[in-house]
Amino acid sequence: MSRRGRLWLATACGLVLAGLVHIVVVLAIPSLSESDALSRARAGQGGEGGMRIFALATGDTPPAAEAWLPIPDPVVAVGLCPYDLTDGPLRVAARTGPLMMSVAVHGRRGAFYAVTDQAAVRGALDLVILTRRQFDEALANEDENEVSRDVRVVAPNTRGFVVVRVIADLPSQRAAANAAVQAVSCTVEGAGEDTKAGG
Amino acid sequence: MATIAGRGRPLAERARSLLRRTSNVGLFVYALALGAGLGLASADYATRGGYPFGGVVAGSWTAWPRAGAVGADPYTRAVNARRGEIPLGVGEGLLLTASQDADGRAIDAGCSYAVAGTTPPARAWTLTVAGRGPRPADAPLLREGFTSTEILREADGHFVIALAPEVQPGNWLPMPRASGPVRLALRLYDTPVAASAGTLDRSALPEIRRTGCRP
Repeated sequence: MSRRGRLWLATACGLVLAGLVHIVVVLAIPSLSESDALSRARAGQGGEGGMRIFALATGDTPPAAEAWLPIPDPVVAVGLCPYDLTDGPLRVAARTGPLMMSVAVHGRRGAFYAVTDQAAVRGALDLVILTRRQFDEALANEDENEVSRDVRVVAPNTRGFVVVRVIADLPSQRAAANAAVQAVSCTVEGAGEDTKAGG
Repeated sequence: MATIAGRGRPLAERARSLLRRTSNVGLFVYALALGAGLGLASADYATRGGYPFGGVVAGSWTAWPRAGAVGADPYTRAVNARRGEIPLGVGEGLLLTASQDADGRAIDAGCSYAVAGTTPPARAWTLTVAGRGPRPADAPLLREGFTSTEILREADGHFVIALAPEVQPGNWLPMPRASGPVRLALRLYDTPVAASAGTLDRSALPEIRRTGCRP
């Protein structure tokens, strides 16, 4: 093969390789990233005691250095609660107030469940996130005479995070929105037993 | 693909002179370097800015209904991960962004705009403005956006937001910086539109009209 032919071949191989590298890198970014929501949620978890939620205070959140859209909404208080279902199902207990609240459950691939405070029963929103196996166990152990108000959500992955958003429509409601996010509790419960009643 | 041609040519020139002296090993190293360099650079470029795919265009606005959904494409997931963004899920709400006015010109911080009309049905919405990069430290933070509760409406329920560098009567939204491009974000919370963003009509969204520019 001539020298020129070999060069073209090498260039073609390089381009094919570039395509492969591109695809691999794009697919690997979510699991390698250290600044994504899940990693940040895990990093912010320490020192919070039993409460595994941390609020991004509204009003004074400075945008990130490379912030372009979508910027975080300045009037929304966000709480993150990472979970690892190998420890047991996660119970998210929220009390609804006058402010609009939404709870979304994110897995590795995105939000697989979302609910707003309009679905609350008597002011309480109780979500139990479990794996398929824990779900079957909970069904088997259930007492038929006892009515459960929990919303059971089967998660596709064992790891993920719960996002709580509370919207402060007016600047004066910002403190209340932050407090509402802080009031949401995320607790790991022993598999199959519902000891903590919601209400 | 333009970047590939632009990058490939000087590399090829250098490689050709090198070729007279080197053997197959040199070519192998050249192919590896080309693959790694181009692959990393293009992956970085594709996931650095906004979401590359999945937008639904309606007038000036682009809706991103699948940004937080389980079926989001790998690029969207990579962008979210790099920025630490927590996207709105389908049941939570819908994000719309705008970088152009109704005539297709980029929204510039030196000009004044009227954002007028109505929004699709939603329990609450917020309209915010942002420029690229960090906020200038000396500029006071007056207002970043409006919520559906805060806004002053006309008698028929329409609203007009005056996006301008100087103080305006009514719903004045100050420009976030002195110059450069800015973007608007409209977030609809708890909206039925999120499930059917493909049917969004431009008349259901606020129109962005340029009203004047600083000389």
